[in-house]
Amino acid sequence: MSFLELKNITKRYGPMTAVGDVSLSVEKGEFVSLLGPSGCGKTTTLQMIAGFVEPSAGTIRLDGRDITRAKANSRGLGIVFQSYALFPHMTVFDNVSFGLEMQRVPKGERKPRVEEALSLVHLAPYAKRYPRELSGGQRQRVALARALVIRPPVLLLDEPLSNLDAKLREAMQFELREIQRKVGTTTVMVTHDQAEAFSISDRVVVMEAGRITQIDQPYRIYEHPETEFISRFVGKTNLLPGKVATATGAGATVSLAGIAVPVETAGLSVGETVTLCIRPEKLHLTAPSGGLLTGRVADRFFLGSQWLYHIDGPLGTLMVVTPNDGSTPAEQGAPVGLEWSPSVVRVHRGAMAEAPDVALEVTG
Amino acid sequence: MTRNGPVALFFHALVVIFMLAPLVIVCLVAFTPENTLSLPTRGFSLRWFEAVFHHPDFVQSFWNSLWLAVLSATLAVALAVPASLAITRYEFPGRGFLNALFLSPLIIPHLVLGVAMLRLFAVVGAAGSFGWLVAAHMVIVTPYVMRLLIAAISGFDRSVEQAAFSLGASEATVFRRVTLPMILPGVTGGWLIAFINSFDELTMSIFITSPSTVTLPVRMYMYATESIDPMMAAVSALIIGITAVAVLLLDRVYGLDRILVGQQ
Repeated sequence: MSFLELKNITKRYGPMTAVGDVSLSVEKGEFVSLLGPSGCGKTTTLQMIAGFVEPSAGTIRLDGRDITRAKANSRGLGIVFQSYALFPHMTVFDNVSFGLEMQRVPKGERKPRVEEALSLVHLAPYAKRYPRELSGGQRQRVALARALVIRPPVLLLDEPLSNLDAKLREAMQFELREIQRKVGTTTVMVTHDQAEAFSISDRVVVMEAGRITQIDQPYRIYEHPETEFISRFVGKTNLLPGKVATATGAGATVSLAGIAVPVETAGLSVGETVTLCIRPEKLHLTAPSGGLLTGRVADRFFLGSQWLYHIDGPLGTLMVVTPNDGSTPAEQGAPVGLEWSPSVVRVHRGAMAEAPDVALEVTG
Repeated sequence: MTRNGPVALFFHALVVIFMLAPLVIVCLVAFTPENTLSLPTRGFSLRWFEAVFHHPDFVQSFWNSLWLAVLSATLAVALAVPASLAITRYEFPGRGFLNALFLSPLIIPHLVLGVAMLRLFAVVGAAGSFGWLVAAHMVIVTPYVMRLLIAAISGFDRSVEQAAFSLGASEATVFRRVTLPMILPGVTGGWLIAFINSFDELTMSIFITSPSTVTLPVRMYMYATESIDPMMAAVSALIIGITAVAVLLLDRVYGLDRILVGQQ
């Protein structure tokens, strides 16, 4: 039996279903992220775990105990909010000490525990300051220390890093993970940032329109997205509509605008409409005549460690990412060839859906 | 920061002088040694201040006004805190009505309120009651407190309360340890502005004070209709002094900009 278990959790607001039939099991010590665009129900799910929102249906169990209807102040969970939500009229020390005070921890025991929590987040020298005297990153650490000091069974993080600037966010990601490993607290994080979810989670839960569409390890979600939405939402991808031309036991060929592309997906039937999904870094540039396709460099963008090309060809514009190995990049307008291994092509059954705005907004 | 041109500077100076001159003159007159309202030309004297403190009616009225202002401001705050919390945070039937009701005394002339209260007091047999006078003043000062508190509560990040709640605090503890301290500037500001308004109120009070509950502004009005002597100036100077102290306090704890301009 898992440590934190959500079973068929549903939240309806009038006729609208914010969260529909969500089931999730989190093991002790695991770091799980709920990932999805805004409005997908991930925050509502977190708030139901926290006890701020009461589920319309379903049960939540923590360590075997049913906490579905328990009040937030009796659950003992540690929560870090997007806005940090520090007590502005209390010093850093008092902020962290608040939870211990509420748990009636004797005064003599509180001080060492607060100090321990503050040194965990490298803020020991700031105990006497007020939140307004701290930077965004420091406030976030105080919020983390305040949540962890009560030794919660589960730590809930609601978009904890989205108010920080890019560089700090990256540094804090790793620090967050390091701290979580050190204290071993089971953690559920909500985020719309896939890079954040991937880099620090054991497992990622992708949510879409109130439902869970995939639960997997980060690299599996990236390599084997189960829906077209996920492949679009998670990282960049080339989506190509086609029809199955031939099918054998172990694979098939898919006809894309008259070009036959081999794939390694079994169980397809001839004539079926499919969407192929190829990650930009899985495509390789070759000499113009050498590849499976030929095209022309429409645009190229220097990303530092990588080059991003837009290649115009018979299949439309494809994104190609190549590592910057120091060699001369292909010129704009130059003819190039494209090749890839059939094993990297993912096949989604059915026609390609219109790209939802929410997905585009966050993939870039 | 841009600097004012000479014309603007002149205009500003004119406005300031126009506003301050009467106050300055009243304060100066208060120190006159003469028996008439005149600027002190032959030195300063505190005789009119002394006269005020030896005038039992004025002293009594001062205490009446002070108690009245303290009580009505305090009770108005005690009423307005839960009312503003409810109106700002919850959707319930009659919410818009309550909000309008609490703010409506702002647009009803005090004269009308005075007549209405006079009738009401007569009907309930409360003429001359200090308690009913406090209630009438609460009607006048509550809207000011409500406006300040609603502004303070609207900008409140509720996740701070959720954080306290998740750390194991009860509802009462969250209010006492988190909500109240965070809206405290609004509460204090509201109290002070209510105090000043009540202390200063004349129009309505004229109708509903009795000989034993006459407030300072009413006493001054009655005195001034009979005779004008520098004692009036001395009382005015004292009121200006008290109000100035209150406003300075208000600026310190809340910031006058936030009250008058509505900046958060």
